[in-house]
Amino acid sequence: MQKNNRLFIITVLLSLAQLNAVAQKRFNDTTTIKEVVVTATRTEKSIGDIPVPVQVISKKFIQQTGSQKLIDILQQQTGLVLADNPLGTALIGYPNPFGSGIQLQGLDPAYTLILLDGEPLTGRNAGILNLGRVAVGNIQQIEIVKGPATSLYGSDALAGVINIITDKPKTGAAGIQIHRASNNTWGFTANSTIKTKRTALQLFANRYSSSGYDLDKTIYGNTADPYRNYSFAAKFIFDINARTQWQTSARYFTQKQFNNYLVYTSATPEIVDGSTVETDWSFRNQLQHRFSAKTNLIARLYATGYTDNADVFMQKDGSLYDHSFLHQSLLKPEVQVEIGSKPNKQLIAGIGYNNETINSSRYASEKKLNAYYVYAQKEWLPLQNLNITLGARFDKQNLYTAQFNPKLAMAWKPTHDLTLIGSIGTGFKTPDFRQQFLSFSNSLIGYTLLGANELNNGLIKLQQQGQIDPSINLAPYLIDHTLSPEKSVGTNIGFRYHVGNNTEISSSVFRNDINNLIDRYNLPFTKINNQAIYSYVNVNRVYTQGLDFSITQKFAQQFTVHAGYQYLDAKDKDVMENLKSGKIVKRDPVTFQSSYVTRKDYGGLFNRSKHTANLQLSYSNKQHWFNSSIRAVYRGRFGYSDINGDNILDDNREYADGFVLLNASAGINFRNGIGIQTGSENILNHIDKVKLPNLSGRTYFINLTIDLKQLKQKNHEKSNP
Amino acid sequence: MKKAILSSICIATGAMLFFSACTKSNPTPVVTIIQKTDSIKVNFSPVAPYTFFSFKNDALVANSDSASTKWDFGLRFTTFILNSHNYGPGNAGAILQNTIYSTATAAPATGYAYDTASSQKAIKDGSWYDYNIATHAFVPKAGQTFFFRTADNFYVKMELLAVDYEAFVGPTPTRLIYRFRYTYQTDGSLSF
Repeated sequence: MQKNNRLFIITVLLSLAQLNAVAQKRFNDTTTIKEVVVTATRTEKSIGDIPVPVQVISKKFIQQTGSQKLIDILQQQTGLVLADNPLGTALIGYPNPFGSGIQLQGLDPAYTLILLDGEPLTGRNAGILNLGRVAVGNIQQIEIVKGPATSLYGSDALAGVINIITDKPKTGAAGIQIHRASNNTWGFTANSTIKTKRTALQLFANRYSSSGYDLDKTIYGNTADPYRNYSFAAKFIFDINARTQWQTSARYFTQKQFNNYLVYTSATPEIVDGSTVETDWSFRNQLQHRFSAKTNLIARLYATGYTDNADVFMQKDGSLYDHSFLHQSLLKPEVQVEIGSKPNKQLIAGIGYNNETINSSRYASEKKLNAYYVYAQKEWLPLQNLNITLGARFDKQNLYTAQFNPKLAMAWKPTHDLTLIGSIGTGFKTPDFRQQFLSFSNSLIGYTLLGANELNNGLIKLQQQGQIDPSINLAPYLIDHTLSPEKSVGTNIGFRYHVGNNTEISSSVFRNDINNLIDRYNLPFTKINNQAIYSYVNVNRVYTQGLDFSITQKFAQQFTVHAGYQYLDAKDKDVMENLKSGKIVKRDPVTFQSSYVTRKDYGGLFNRSKHTANLQLSYSNKQHWFNSSIRAVYRGRFGYSDINGDNILDDNREYADGFVLLNASAGINFRNGIGIQTGSENILNHIDKVKLPNLSGRTYFINLTIDLKQLKQKNHEKSNP
Repeated sequence: MKKAILSSICIATGAMLFFSACTKSNPTPVVTIIQKTDSIKVNFSPVAPYTFFSFKNDALVANSDSASTKWDFGLRFTTFILNSHNYGPGNAGAILQNTIYSTATAAPATGYAYDTASSQKAIKDGSWYDYNIATHAFVPKAGQTFFFRTADNFYVKMELLAVDYEAFVGPTPTRLIYRFRYTYQTDGSLSF
C-alpha cells in the first residue's frame, strides 16, 4: 500500500516537472478562467490566479434559483452548510431564536466574516448575522474565500469570508420583478440606473413579506412568525478625472416581525403579541486616485448601524410584557495603497481604525470598542508560473492584546489548465459582546450569567445585594478575567483544473486548529438561592479538517452538470485526550447503565455533517430564452444533542437524520424583456419540526420580471421598423 | 487473536481467585446489601422545606423528624444537606467521586465531608449536574458516584440517574423528580 503511494507521488512529481518544463507565461494569460474576484487579495484578480480556495456564485446562478433568500442560495454551494446556532438547538420544537447561518470548513457561523461590497455587516445575534437582511435582487456575485483571511480582514475571518458584491451601474439598466411564493410570500423589486459620461447613479428597492409557517399545530403560535421588510440601496459613482473616482453608496433595511405567543404569568396561559423591528443602515464612501501607472490610492470611510427592538404586550390589557433591544454602530476609516503595475507583483498596504459602540438590554451599560490596524500584502513571481503571496495584519483593540496574523500562499501553474494552490495562515476572533458584557439573571431558575468583563462588578454587586453569602471571600475571584481572542491556524492545499471551456474541476484539503475557544463555566460557589453563577473563559481546543471537491461539466453549450462534495472531520482535542485516558463516562438514558466512552464512539463536534454534497443540472437553450435547473443538496446526519450525560456526541440516538433538499425551477425570457419563472423548493417536503424548525416544508414560487431597457428598445423597433 | 488469548487468561485468573476465595469464606454467604432504585419528589424552590430520605428504610422521612437521626440526606431544588453538623444530630458525611457506580466495590474509609455551615456544604451545588441554559434541564454528570456515611454510620453508594420536572401548570415548576439508585451495606462495612 505504502509502496503504491510512493510510486504515485513520484509519478505525479515527474509529470509535474515535465509540465513545468513547457510552462510559459501562465499568470494573466488569456486562456485562464475570466471570472474576476476581489475578496481573496483585496484587488481585482482572475480566479485562476488566486492562491487560496475561492468560489463564486454568479448572478446567473442566483437568477436561475429564482430565490429571494440569500441563505437558500448559499447553502447550495459545496462546503457551505446551513447550520442552526448551537445556542438555540436545545429548545426542542421551537424555532431557534438565534437563527441559522453558514458553517464553513466545519466552523460555526460566527467564524465567517460577512462583507457587503467589502465592508463588514454588524449586528450579530449571539454570533449569527441574519442573512435575511441582505436583499438578493441587486447582487452581482458572491465571493467565498475558504480558510483564514484574517491577514487581510482582521477578526472573525477564521473559516473564511463571504463577500456579497452588488451590481455595477450599467447604461440604461432598469427593471422590476414581482415574486409570489407559498406562505403568502410577496417580493417586489425595482432597480434603475442613470448614467452620464462621468457619473452613474444606481437605485434599488425591495419589499419582501411572508406570513411565516407553522410546523406544529399542537403548540400555540407559529414556528416562524410573519414579517415584512424593505431594502433600499443607492450607489453613486463619479469619475472626477481620468485618474480619480469617487464612489458613495447608501443602504437601508428595515424589517418588522409580528410576534404572537403564549406566556405563563399565572396558572393559566396568556397571549402576548408584539413586534421585533430590525433596522440596518450603511454609508460607504470611497475615493480612488491613481497617482501613476504604478501607484493607486484608495481612501474609504464606512459607517454602519444596526438596531433591534422587541416589544411584547399582554393581549388582554395591552400592558408591556417584555422589552429588549440591541443597538450597534461602527465607524471605519481606512486608507489602502497599491504599488506596482503588474497584478501579480503588487504590494498592497493599508491602515484603518474601527470605532464600535454597542448597547443591549442585557448589558450593564453602553460599551465602546476601538481598534486600529495595519495590513500589507506582497506578491512575487519568482518564476513565470509561480506566484507567492505573503500578507500580514496587525490589530490592536483597546480590550485585547495586539494580534499579529501572517499568511503565506502560493499558486503554481505547471500548465495552462492546472493551478496548484497552497496556503497557511492564522486567524483570530475577538470574544463576542455577550461573552464580555452580558449581565443577566434568570428569573425562573435564579442563576446569573456574567460576561468576563462584568464578572468582578457583578460579583461585588450580588454580594452587596445579599445574593451571595457574606461569608464567601470574593477576593480570590476579583482578578483580571479579560478573555483572549480565539486563535486559529489554517492550511489549505488544492488544485483547479480545466479542460477547454467545458470542464472545471477543483478540490482542496483543509485543516484548521483553533485554540482558546471560549466556553461557559460555573464559579465554585453559588448564590444564596443555591443557584450557579456562570461566566466565560478561554478553554477549548478543536480542529476541523476535510476535503472538498467540485466538478462542472458543460455539454453542447446547453447542458451544465455540477457536482460537489465535502468530507468533514471536526473534533474537540481535549475530549480526545480525555477519551484516551478513559475519563469520559456515559449513562444510557433507557437502561441507566454507565460505561466508559471509547474513542471509536466519539462522533466529533455537534451540528457537523461528515458528508455533504450537492448536484445541479441546468439547461439553457441556444438562444438563451429558456432555462431550467434542478438542484439537490444533501446534508448527512449530524450530532443534535447529548442524551447520555457526557456532553459529547457518542450515541446514534444523538444524531439528526441526513436529508436531501430538492429544488427546481424553469423560466422563459421573451424578446420584449418580459420573463416568467416558476419553481419549487424542498420538493421532497422534508420536515423535522423538532430538529430543523428553521426549514419550512415544500414551497412554490412564480416570478415575473420586466427588463425595462429591453422593453423600450423593442417598442422603439416596432414604432420605427 | 491477541484479544482472545488475553481474555482467556483473565477468565483463568478469575476462576482461580474465585476458587481460592471460596475455600476461605463461609460456604453459605449472608446477603448484607440492599439495592434499590427510587424516585423522590423535591420542592423546586430554594426556600421551601427539604425532602428527607432514609437509606435504611428506603423511605421519605417526615419534616417533623428533621431533628432526629432518622434521615440521612435532605434535598430541595438542587441542594443536598446531610444529617450532621449544621443540619442534624447524626453522623452523616458524603464524598462525590468520579467512579462508575457498578464498578465501585468499596466506600472510602475516610475523607467524608460535612455541611459545616449553610454556605459550606459537603455536596457543592452545581458539582454534580450540567445545567442547560436553554432547556433548564439539570443533567446529572455521568460517571459520578456519591458515597454516604449514614446518620447512624452505615455506608452507601448512590448514583443520580435523572432529574426531571414534575408536570406543572403556570409560570413556575413546583417540583423536581430525582431518580437514583443506591446500595446499602447492612453489616456496617465499607464493601459493596
